[in-house]
Amino acid sequence: MFLVHRLLKRSPSLFSTAALLTFLLVAGGASAQVDQAQYDSGEKLFKANCGSCHKPDKDMTGPAVAGATERWDGKGDLHLWIKDSQGYIKSGNAHAKEIFEKWNKIVMPTQPLSTEEIDAVLYYADHFATVNSSKAAPAGAAEPAAAATPTNNWVWWAITGLLFLVVLVSLGGVRSQLSNAVREKHGLPAEAPLGTWGRIRRWAVRNKGWASVAVLLIVVWLVVMLWNWMFNIGVYGGDKVAHYKPSQPIAFDHSLHAGKDNLNINCQYCHSGAEKSRHAGIPSANVCMNCHQAISEGPKTGTAEIAKIYEAVGWDPNAMKYSGEQKPIVWNKVHNLPDHVYFNHSQHVAVAKLECQKCHGPVDTEMDQVQQWSPLTMRWCLDCHNTTEVKVAGTDNGYYEEIHRRLTQTPMGQRELRKYLEDEKITVRELGGFECAKCHY
Amino acid sequence: MSSTKRYWQDLSELDPAGSPVKATTAEFNEPMPLDQVLADGGIAGSTTSRRDFLKFLGFSVGAATLAACEAPVIKSIPYVNKPEEITPGVANWYASTYYDGEDFASVLVKTREGRPIHVQGNPRFGVNRNPGTGKSAVNARINSSVLSLYDSERLQGPAEVSEGNMAQRSWADADKAIGDGLAKAAAAGKRIVILTNTVISPSTKEAINVFKAKHGLKLNTGDPAVSASVGGTVDHVQYDPVSYAGIASANLKTFGKWAFPSYDLTKADVVVGIGADFLSNWGSTTENTWQYTSRRRPEDATTARPMSRHWQFESRMSMTGANADKRVAVRPSQMPQLVLALHDAIASATGNSGAGKGQLPEGIAAAAARCAKDLLAAKGKSVVMCGVNEEGVQVLVNSINNMLGNYGTTIDMANESPFFRGNDAAMAQLVKDLNAGTVGAILIHGVNPAYTLPNAEEFKAGLKKAALSVSFSSHADETASLCNWITPDHHWLESWGDHNPKAGTFALTQPTIRPLFDTRQWGESLLKWSGQDNDWRSFVQTVFKGTTGASWEQSLHDGAYQGNAAAKEATAFTADLADAARRAMDGVKEGEWELEVFTTEALASGLHANNPWLQELPDPITKVTWDNYISISPEDLSALTGKSFKQLYIGQESPANLLRVTVNGISMELPAVMSPGQAPKTISVALGYGRGANGERVGRAACLRNPDGSPAPVGQNAYPWTTLRGNTMRYEAMEATVEPTGRTYAIALTQTQMTGMDRGSIVKETTFTVWALNKPEEYNPPHTLRVHEDVNKDGVIDARDQVPATSINLWAEHAIAETGHRWGMSIDLNACIGCGACITACNSENNISVVGKDEVRRSREMHWLRIDRYYTSDTHEDTEGLSWAGKLAGMEKPSADPTVIFIPMMCQHCNHAPCETVCPVAATTHSEEGLNMMAYNRCIGTRYCANNCPYKVRRFNWFNYVTEDFSQVNPAWDELGRMVLNPDVVVRSRGVMEKCTLCVQRIQEGKLEAKKEGRPVKDGDVQTACSAACGYGAITFGDLNDTGSAVRAGRDNPRGYEMLEEVGTAPNVTYLVKVRNAAEGDNHQA
Repeated sequence: MFLVHRLLKRSPSLFSTAALLTFLLVAGGASAQVDQAQYDSGEKLFKANCGSCHKPDKDMTGPAVAGATERWDGKGDLHLWIKDSQGYIKSGNAHAKEIFEKWNKIVMPTQPLSTEEIDAVLYYADHFATVNSSKAAPAGAAEPAAAATPTNNWVWWAITGLLFLVVLVSLGGVRSQLSNAVREKHGLPAEAPLGTWGRIRRWAVRNKGWASVAVLLIVVWLVVMLWNWMFNIGVYGGDKVAHYKPSQPIAFDHSLHAGKDNLNINCQYCHSGAEKSRHAGIPSANVCMNCHQAISEGPKTGTAEIAKIYEAVGWDPNAMKYSGEQKPIVWNKVHNLPDHVYFNHSQHVAVAKLECQKCHGPVDTEMDQVQQWSPLTMRWCLDCHNTTEVKVAGTDNGYYEEIHRRLTQTPMGQRELRKYLEDEKITVRELGGFECAKCHY
Repeated sequence: MSSTKRYWQDLSELDPAGSPVKATTAEFNEPMPLDQVLADGGIAGSTTSRRDFLKFLGFSVGAATLAACEAPVIKSIPYVNKPEEITPGVANWYASTYYDGEDFASVLVKTREGRPIHVQGNPRFGVNRNPGTGKSAVNARINSSVLSLYDSERLQGPAEVSEGNMAQRSWADADKAIGDGLAKAAAAGKRIVILTNTVISPSTKEAINVFKAKHGLKLNTGDPAVSASVGGTVDHVQYDPVSYAGIASANLKTFGKWAFPSYDLTKADVVVGIGADFLSNWGSTTENTWQYTSRRRPEDATTARPMSRHWQFESRMSMTGANADKRVAVRPSQMPQLVLALHDAIASATGNSGAGKGQLPEGIAAAAARCAKDLLAAKGKSVVMCGVNEEGVQVLVNSINNMLGNYGTTIDMANESPFFRGNDAAMAQLVKDLNAGTVGAILIHGVNPAYTLPNAEEFKAGLKKAALSVSFSSHADETASLCNWITPDHHWLESWGDHNPKAGTFALTQPTIRPLFDTRQWGESLLKWSGQDNDWRSFVQTVFKGTTGASWEQSLHDGAYQGNAAAKEATAFTADLADAARRAMDGVKEGEWELEVFTTEALASGLHANNPWLQELPDPITKVTWDNYISISPEDLSALTGKSFKQLYIGQESPANLLRVTVNGISMELPAVMSPGQAPKTISVALGYGRGANGERVGRAACLRNPDGSPAPVGQNAYPWTTLRGNTMRYEAMEATVEPTGRTYAIALTQTQMTGMDRGSIVKETTFTVWALNKPEEYNPPHTLRVHEDVNKDGVIDARDQVPATSINLWAEHAIAETGHRWGMSIDLNACIGCGACITACNSENNISVVGKDEVRRSREMHWLRIDRYYTSDTHEDTEGLSWAGKLAGMEKPSADPTVIFIPMMCQHCNHAPCETVCPVAATTHSEEGLNMMAYNRCIGTRYCANNCPYKVRRFNWFNYVTEDFSQVNPAWDELGRMVLNPDVVVRSRGVMEKCTLCVQRIQEGKLEAKKEGRPVKDGDVQTACSAACGYGAITFGDLNDTGSAVRAGRDNPRGYEMLEEVGTAPNVTYLVKVRNAAEGDNHQA
């Protein structure tokens, strides 16, 4: 007990640190409890019955559903109100009348829902924000699953290292206490306490060789870290640095337009250059007008953002005609390659038939505001060129058939082909995808 | 560690004061005034301490570093309403037509995002189309004209000029003032004159007629020969700055037509040029060139259609002369004599009456006799073209052609050419009328008489007397700045137009960009001032439909409509030969020094002086840029200056000698450039230079500015040396004085007077006779190297043990020879005429910087493609009686009557490239497709590659040529000029090496198109800018692994050789041995 007492006296912070760590670990493991079944059935009902006028967490044509229970608390029967709003107003509820007037007297049709179903919908709306924020957090990092493993590893290493350090320091203390106890017993005066740093210094002075090696290792490690860090300067996207996600003059929501569960518009409907040109292109506003001539109000931002398109093309939604006054939209460019790089979309889209998401990430599912997903560094390009297979034989593309024919026809070609096929596939690299003048001219 | 030992260079060093050695070795020539600064409190007085300075320094470095980490926000603005035909990133091509009064061509214009950036020949149609190669010929002037669109000195709208001050006005103001002025002139009973170059546009002619109907009587028959003298109120005077009036006038005499003949060189077995630079600057060059070259490939020769034989008689070594099988140097005073002699020889052989005998020196007389023999052997299949602008001489030439039966075969006077109808006499009369005050209003389009007339001062004085003078010029040039009004015309790339270049052929011009400035087409202005509110497009459309009845859309798409020319009967030839001979010899007397002025390949009459690409285009022969000069024979210059040839060579540190030339009392001091082959005691000076000498804004490149803002014209104006003699403008003077000044002038050449030095692997040339033996080892022997091995199995190892150079290889074989693509070029030296259209096409395609005279002088020109010119020498390796050193010195010296060969030279894309092995950062590497690649962003500028390149084709960016420092010469820096840049090619900056990429951007594009369409790359799909520009088939580009390709055929041709094959670079460019149709007696190097 004596020793423990001494230890506690010497380093009171030690135990609090350990306690904090334990707490954090436990807290990290725990998560908010959501009744998933209730939530899911509520979501389904909401999308089927309410979604065209309501949003769970935001006002749209009607008010946000979340918090409705609270808002109605003590003011009337929310379930009756939802089932038959007009009837409920007629029954004389003041709050119902107030809401009706506040929301421009838009009639909410009767809803054939049971009380349990309404509860499910309300449950869904109330928990929508919580569930989505916990979903969004891992989505910020690159591949949620892939990214999690190294992060966790790192944390565990840090904790182990920290514990090891704590043990080391404590043992040092214990050792000096023991040695002092021994000295006390032998009647020698106790050594003046050196402190942790002092002991390290003494050790270093006594073991110059090891100290040098340790310092050298630390310096090398720092240099390597610096070197690796420098590779990320000016890089956006990828899983190491933040994704570039500039604000845009119009809050265009890609996930709404291209998402499978939403409008599911093909990427190339708007980015029509991707198949024909080096530039996928930002669609001109007249492309927006193909649909938005009819759709003047969206589910998220209402008329505010769509009105900006109208302003750009000079469309008067009330008179339903063009004024002729145009004002170009100044977007903030998200994906930017240096001038000395030539990249051609059509090569990758029309010939290689790559999915847009391969480089641009889950634009259709996760990006309301578009961000640079991939780092767009040369290493990133080459990594893909190094591994991606190009089908040269048995395709209906006469170009590659001809390339294949030339490879099989001559002894030199056959030799090359054998070399290519060492890894059993012909990659972009082997067809010249690593050469400078493929992209730099 | 300093040594105590001291070494003295000079005893004076012992003297501590004033040692000259010390002064030269010190870092600073003058002592630094440190003591002074410290003494007078210079530092103590400062409020910034050293620590503060370091803090600021640290802060700014840190701040700059942090700021650099943050990427700037880049804005991107898409179309609001995208035009259907535009896909950003994909080029659109439009068929159009170029005509400027001097050159005509059907072209394709490449536009990117609505900006024209490149011009090349229309491969589907045109009088310039070569059916043999499927390409159309354009010259450097035509494909460079895209740059002049973006000239920031163009007028931005109509302007009123009064007392030298120019003020911008609106079109409404201009229309009102000019309308009033025209009405006033008509009311005063004065003449209204429309002065233009030769008009070939049916619509413009119609517009002029509308104008005439409004403002005057239509007594004009449309015949310019009589137009000026007929007393209508409105006259249309056509004037060509470089006149062909002598020919037109002769044709009027002999065929009753004031016209230039239409030549067909494809039918000519024998071509004779007498002072006519018909491949570069005489006649319809875009037609002449492809027709000429189509008869120059030995492989195409048959008994019925042999390789043509080309005779050239001329004073200066012209580009055309350089291509001749036999060239004879003739002084200007001897030209009429020569024509007489030829006429006499042919007349006597054909039993016709002669016109007298020519007096010629023995050598020329003999040549003329041989030439006559050749002509007589090719009756009806020959052509004589003569550049002497004199009616008598031309009547005799017509008579020669007539006796040979060439009319109806090689020369068409039934369907005469519409070009070159200018009338010098009418122009002279106009100057008189202006001064007499009988002209009330003058409208000037397309010509610049205040610059091009020898009596410009008289013209200027007369112009002031016209109450209304209007210019349609795009610049406030020499003439326009003296007019009351300038109502600028569109650039041709912004214009609508139609042209009738040949009977039955109608070519259309369509705009490829919305007008950059507030300009208006001059035809529309004419209509407006005639009270018609038609827009020009619909007017052209109406006229076109009216004349042809063809589909407007289809014709616009094709660029032209080809109808059937009504068969016309040729008029019979009549001539008064005695009168012609008298006229021809009138005023001809041999002078001590004779002068000839000429137009260059680059600037022509001076129309293109504002185009820096053309200013920097080296002259085909002398390789001079950015100047005009005196072309003189080396012997004459040596005698004049008392210097040896070696001393006369021009280089960075050795300027040219200034000579003072006086002709007709007008003296000019011009630098002299030796031109081997120049006729003795004859000098030649180019026209078209010296623009903007009075500070007119004629374009930044035409007239540079001194630091104080005063004009520094490029070259000097030689037009004052032209004279009107009889009824025609004469471009030669028989009495000139030439004297040395003892002063020098720096001049910028890209190549000195080089010979091939007998190096058989650079210049390979043979004669048709030798070639026809079908023994390539005779004329194209492989280069052999001696090996230390008994390869010939004669038992001894000696000099006879030789193996072909290509069989020895230090490097492992590249797989490209048999796999994938292998891009290459074959260059047929027989088809290359040296014109340089490929150079300017390359400039335009690859964003090549213009660097200006000073940099060119330092050999820093950036052209990726150059055309080397080699002269032959009289001395050879096997010349007897000379020491080795003597031979070397002799071989260096071009002969007085040399043969000239042109060799287009660009990166050879060696499979074993010496440049690649020495690059320390692997910035230049080899591709699997045979390209020698250059990654600019990797280059650190060691220039090892350039040093190691045996072809000297690498170019280093010594400065940031795209910055304001080069603003005067390089258009790429200025906001407007950079619109011409090709967005698919990076603009290189300082410290970076660059070179020909074989237009890799076009290769990539061609492959991608093929991939997208799922087919192999077809031969001809991918064209480099130079190969597309060369309508003659001199440059063929393609995939060498495609066994059916034209380029492979070139490589497999027995004429094919590799440049410097002994170096072992294994290039992907093949040259085909030049074959001349030389005959016995030609001084030809076999």
